[in-house]
Amino acid sequence: MTSRSYQEVEFGEDLPEVEVDVSLSNVTRFCHATGMLAGRFMNHEEAREEGLPQAIVPGIMSQGLLVSLVHRWAPGCGIRKIDTVFRAPVLVDSAPRCCGVVTDKDDDSRTVELDLTIVNEQGETRVLGTATVVL
Amino acid sequence: MGITAEELKSRYGGMVFDSVQVEATLESMLEFARACGETDPRYTDAGHPDLQAPVNFAAKYHGARMLPDDFPEFDRRMMIDAGKAVEWIAPIRPGDELTANSHLHDIYEKTGRSGSMLFLVHRMEFSNARGELTSRVDWRLIIRGGLA
Repeated sequence: MTSRSYQEVEFGEDLPEVEVDVSLSNVTRFCHATGMLAGRFMNHEEAREEGLPQAIVPGIMSQGLLVSLVHRWAPGCGIRKIDTVFRAPVLVDSAPRCCGVVTDKDDDSRTVELDLTIVNEQGETRVLGTATVVL
Repeated sequence: MGITAEELKSRYGGMVFDSVQVEATLESMLEFARACGETDPRYTDAGHPDLQAPVNFAAKYHGARMLPDDFPEFDRRMMIDAGKAVEWIAPIRPGDELTANSHLHDIYEKTGRSGSMLFLVHRMEFSNARGELTSRVDWRLIIRGGLA
């Protein structure tokens, strides 16, 4: 069961924005959970040696942050597909926000389509994607 | 480019070139979900009756090979990660032993202002011990300039 019904969702509806935790300690936690132990994710100095401004958030974690955004908006929903493009790095120890909007509804399958983004403090899009969600 | 996308697709498209076995551990599932700020107890509560891995959990796995062994050589520095798509088909449960088979799902080229680009769609399909398909992970790769 989901706490949002298909009928109450409106085309164009914005998902409540979420400021996400991409602190070095939390990203390191994710890296250990996934075995993604590259220095560019967990160490600012090693990231700079690779030419990055500082450590960066793994793309899969960015995707997971967007999955969580959807579940906060519609607890219990079923995400059937999520597709993300990593346009620019999300920096560790920054303060990005996850955003989303309903872009389509399909009455037959009772699915909604979402556009999802992660933006930095300057409002620049770093990650964008889409999701198909069953309500 | 010495070999066209059509020829590559004809030679490699759909051919499984890699297969690995992985285990979805309870701890890695919970830590993945919690680090991503997940609030749905299906993913964060070890005692939940419908406990399962995060929707994009399978995307963390890599095969032993990125491309078929005899795929034409190219400058790996010209390769760009163009994104990842995860299709959820069935839940991955704690302790599931998964088999991940990799193939090239699509190969095509585009030409833009910056020249030719070859697109590869690397697909991993995950099945559990009962043979049920659980997830598809598509990894889109661009080779700038195509194959030399």
